[in-house]
Amino acid sequence: MSQRFLLILIIVTLGISSVAWAVLRGNLPPADFTFHNETEIKSMDPATVTGIPEHRILAAIFEGLAKPNPETYLPEPGVAESWDISADERVYTFHLRPDARWSNGAAVTADDFRYGIRRMLDPMTGARYAYQCWYIKNARRYSAGLAGVEPGDRVEVELNLPASQPWTRRGELLHGVLLSKKATDRSGQNSNVVAVRVGNQERQFLVGADTQEAPGGVEPCRQVLLDFREVGIEAIDDKTLVTTLERPTPFWLQLTMHYALFPLYRPCVEEHGSPDWTYPENIVGNGAFRLQFRRVRDRIRLVKSDTYWDRENVRLNIVDALSVDSRTTAFNMYETGRIDWLTDTESLIVRDLLEQGRDEVDLNPAPFLCTYFYGLNLNQKPLDDVRVRQALSLALDREEITRVAMGAGEVVAYGLVPPGIPGYQSQECHRGDPAEARRLLSEAGYPHGIGFPKFEILYNSDETHQTIAELIRKQWQRNLGITVSMRNEEWGSYLNSQRQMNFGICRRSWVGDYLDANTYLDMFVTDGENNRSGWSNLEYDRLVADAAAELDDEKRLRLLESAERILMKELPIIPIYYYVSRNLVRPYVRGFYNTAVDLHPLGAIYVDRDARGRNEYLSSE
Amino acid sequence: MPGSEHHHSNASDVRTLTKGVSLWQDAWRKLRCNRVAMFSMWILVAICGLALLTPLLPLDPPDRDRTHLQYEPPQLTPLFRPTFSLDVKAIQKTSAIVAARGDSQTLEQRQQAKDVLQKPYRAAGFPDLGPLSRWMVGARYWLFGHWSLGPVAGRDLLGRDIFSRLFWGARVSLIVGLVATLVSLLIGVTWGAVAGYCGGFIDDLMMRIVDILYSIPFIFVVIFIITILGQRDIKMTLELVGIDRITIFFLVVGAIYWLTMARVVRGQVISLKHEPFIEAARALGVSRPAIIFRHILPNLISIVIVYLTLTIPRVMLFEAFLSFLGLGVEPPDVSWGLLANEGIKVINPVRIYWWLIVFPSVALGITLFSLNFLGDGLRDALDPKMETK
Amino acid sequence: MISFLVKRFLWMIVTLWVVFTVSFFLMRAVPGGPFDSERNLPPEIEANMMRRYHLDDPLWKQYWRQLSNTVRGDLGDCFRRDLPVDRYIREGLPVSAALGLLALVFSMVLGITAGIVSAVYRGSVSDLTLRSVATVGIALPNFVIAGLAIIWFVFLFPVFPAAGWGSVRQLILPAFCLGAPYAAYVARIMRTSMLDVLSQDYIRTARAKGLTQRQVVLRHALPGALLPIMSFLGPATAGILTGSLVVERIFYIPGLGSHFVQAALDRDYTLAMGLVLLYTVLLYTMNVLVDISYALLDPRIELE
Repeated sequence: MSQRFLLILIIVTLGISSVAWAVLRGNLPPADFTFHNETEIKSMDPATVTGIPEHRILAAIFEGLAKPNPETYLPEPGVAESWDISADERVYTFHLRPDARWSNGAAVTADDFRYGIRRMLDPMTGARYAYQCWYIKNARRYSAGLAGVEPGDRVEVELNLPASQPWTRRGELLHGVLLSKKATDRSGQNSNVVAVRVGNQERQFLVGADTQEAPGGVEPCRQVLLDFREVGIEAIDDKTLVTTLERPTPFWLQLTMHYALFPLYRPCVEEHGSPDWTYPENIVGNGAFRLQFRRVRDRIRLVKSDTYWDRENVRLNIVDALSVDSRTTAFNMYETGRIDWLTDTESLIVRDLLEQGRDEVDLNPAPFLCTYFYGLNLNQKPLDDVRVRQALSLALDREEITRVAMGAGEVVAYGLVPPGIPGYQSQECHRGDPAEARRLLSEAGYPHGIGFPKFEILYNSDETHQTIAELIRKQWQRNLGITVSMRNEEWGSYLNSQRQMNFGICRRSWVGDYLDANTYLDMFVTDGENNRSGWSNLEYDRLVADAAAELDDEKRLRLLESAERILMKELPIIPIYYYVSRNLVRPYVRGFYNTAVDLHPLGAIYVDRDARGRNEYLSSE
Repeated sequence: MPGSEHHHSNASDVRTLTKGVSLWQDAWRKLRCNRVAMFSMWILVAICGLALLTPLLPLDPPDRDRTHLQYEPPQLTPLFRPTFSLDVKAIQKTSAIVAARGDSQTLEQRQQAKDVLQKPYRAAGFPDLGPLSRWMVGARYWLFGHWSLGPVAGRDLLGRDIFSRLFWGARVSLIVGLVATLVSLLIGVTWGAVAGYCGGFIDDLMMRIVDILYSIPFIFVVIFIITILGQRDIKMTLELVGIDRITIFFLVVGAIYWLTMARVVRGQVISLKHEPFIEAARALGVSRPAIIFRHILPNLISIVIVYLTLTIPRVMLFEAFLSFLGLGVEPPDVSWGLLANEGIKVINPVRIYWWLIVFPSVALGITLFSLNFLGDGLRDALDPKMETK
Repeated sequence: MISFLVKRFLWMIVTLWVVFTVSFFLMRAVPGGPFDSERNLPPEIEANMMRRYHLDDPLWKQYWRQLSNTVRGDLGDCFRRDLPVDRYIREGLPVSAALGLLALVFSMVLGITAGIVSAVYRGSVSDLTLRSVATVGIALPNFVIAGLAIIWFVFLFPVFPAAGWGSVRQLILPAFCLGAPYAAYVARIMRTSMLDVLSQDYIRTARAKGLTQRQVVLRHALPGALLPIMSFLGPATAGILTGSLVVERIFYIPGLGSHFVQAALDRDYTLAMGLVLLYTVLLYTMNVLVDISYALLDPRIELE
């Protein structure tokens, strides 16, 4: 009896103490501004991330050469207070401002940018957004490692580190000229040896070998790369950075706002190694905020930086970025006043809010650069017939789709590139016409849909995608008489199936990286890794390549438009709608504007509970 | 075997004195006196009957979406509306064509024949129907013509009638619940009884296996199975044999739920092992398997029945969770789990489309209530020590 | 007792090893990898990443590396997040454990009481009511209960905050939603086993001896009737651990629950493995405790 009593007593005490502990832990001083950052971010390391939630945090902690204007999102002076562009538009000279500092007080130098970009391009880092830097001369060759050099090129050989050193340091560097990639070593056994002339000596290296192996006079090394001094980025002095591009790139300044081109403080990264340097106690940034703490799946707290050059204009002191996984929960928290800015809202809720007149209070949906489309697999019959593809597109009632499945005023899409790109006119495919669709289908050999082979619509598990697929299935059944099946997969399997082209039709979407049509159109060149449709058109490839080399802005835009015209005639993809941003922003939040890319710099936002009248968010387009 | 003797006081019925009553007959008699249990049983019978006869009922087809009527609230008047349409001529024509073509050989031809046959039904808004269901739909059209019940339970996101979807969903959910539970029952009870009775090393080993299986993240197992089955050639072979996603789902679910049953059964068997009647059986020289299956198992019935009635709802709801991973029921088929999923998505503080969650919950609730009360009644009835009222 | 514990401990090691191996190969056999994203990487970059994380090594080599690291206590870094796995566990486990414990205690207390009342007053109105409420708890999935509870207690009658973790008020709703289905199960099982026990001979003896109803029920019937509840405790803990997945999502609680499924869907090999091993240890320990409690409750059972 006493044993049992003791047991119960122990359990009760455990229970009470755990409750007390949990409560104590959760108590925090309140933040000035709290927003919902969708998911737990992957990392604070610009080289390893790709998502928008990460972008929001990184853009607050770091700053690039240019920074975005909060209203237009066009580049403004950031760390670079001015820049000169050469006549051939290939050389950009950036003059850094003297008062740009890191959070530990050290000055931001041009070498910090060079270090950050080199690290991005280094194959060992495995950076996913490295291709944003490939506009720099020879950058792509650098990223390719040994595959990017040929005998006669100047190379750098990176030797192995002793095992005790953090993995992310660079080994000792040797500079030389590449003699051969497939030399034979002295013992005659190995013929994958790389021969490099360093100084006056010819030395042989084996790439990727462990520190221990050193057969026949061959030295083990980590990698052999194009000499970085050949790459078009140079720090002339502490405050001058020169970037030389492969070809004229009109959106280069926009790209400098992207985290792929952020600077990094070398001593911090090298001392702590990766990923330890990203921890709050170690990380050094140069942005408007600095990182105070990070609680997994709870929040990231940012505090105003007192070393930022523009700190006078930053009016928030403590900012919390919550990572709430459930959109409904986030909405509940917004409604009960725990969140000030909701970055995305469920379609159904948005629809109800609009009906309740919340577009006068805190909701202002605006189109942004993202397209929802269906990718077709041209390797599967009957999708290889262009008439079938056109019929499928013509038979759709896109209005019904946006009205029923969405509800925030999404714009129906007849072209791939969304509207909002200055100077560019989206090219459209034909609008819905069921009769014409039926005629085309008969012409293709399937009158009334009889004999039409069955294929699958693949989508990732999500309520909206399912509804849209369901509607489309019904519309094709009604208008064409064909039957398609649906298949949903969770995210990992879905991406894999997409890559293996294991689908008939696949649901896809694409966000623009920068304000230019090229970010959409260069997806579909022959064998592009994001093509995923089996479509190839040489005329299209030529137009896109010509546009990339064209200096004249007008001509360039017309070339891109011609390319899109071909795309919309051949229809390897069927555009469905353009996304609309669904931010919910409290009336006392100021300095928040709708932008074409739906990004909102934190440095410009402030909270003013006494302000009257509509805030900038409600008034913006 | 526990049983009870029935003594009649009437001296003239001498013959009945010598006739014993088996456990089951006794149980049935006791059950009949339990009014709540009988009521539940009839409800379940009614539900199963209605589910079987669903194509015959004058309901809106479950997959007929009318998006302009999105989220219509429940309306009781007018109760019957002339909204049903079925292309009877096309049906007659296509069945004639398919009959004339005869037996198809290749998968593609069979697929095409199926498409041609199902087309008029799909156009009307029905899921794929078997031959009996097709006949019932035809009979319904002959009986009720264009008349069909109005949206008594409201409409959902795509304008589909929820009341009708409840009935069609019952067909799937009931089978899923029953079969998957039976699979888990078979495996679990056997496993647990053997482990509990044998004890020692065998018990340890069997329970360790259960522990291991518990810990393996079933998500991976499910995704793995889905991938394997998604491969082209395997999918083809399965379709030829006639196994579809639902059958695979039963097996997967059964494979997950037997673990709990095994543990509970083992616990009971361990305490039963020491009962005097088991010792008596052992002393009499009854073989081990016979002890397990003839003497111990019947005494497990009550706990097993309770578990059965607890597992069936979990299975029904688990199916909704699995559909997220791509296994289970997919449109145009419908199940109660799917409806519950859709219902919960519209619970938000701005506007609550209450009919989307209330009606599926009521349906689930009634079925499970009845199952539980019936289970309780069965448990009471099967207990030999319980006095009849 | 000591030999029993030692034996169980050894079995745990074996179990962990088998679970590790099976999970490892299962995870690699499933399509997709930790670096999949919508934007496909140029082949050079992809090759680099595979090399850096040793994903291009032969499978047995990766297995061996991960196994030796795990034995040494190094669970590695997550693939998907730049954080070590043990940081995840260190931050999330106490929260989940506290929530789970609360939910378990709540469900046990409520369930056992309801079951006893239901059994003792069998056939009465209170019995029927309790059984109906219990059935509702089982019939409705916990996300429905949570959704309705939020509408009711957060918006209609603003008693509780919508989500979060940090004050006592924030604990109550999640613990309730998590524990409610289990309270219902426990009530039903308790009722059944209580009825079983109450019809035993030794209870009749106790009544014949003249003991009060309370003494009979609480001191003589209850311990024996608790046995099936004990064996349900194991699966209940497992269920609460996985059920917390949904509840933690809905109430924004920074626990481990949601990681279980997300790690699998993300194909985050190290995190998923770390969580699987943790889960195994917890479950195993729970089962050992349950077996010990068997012996405590029923003197006829010896621990072998």
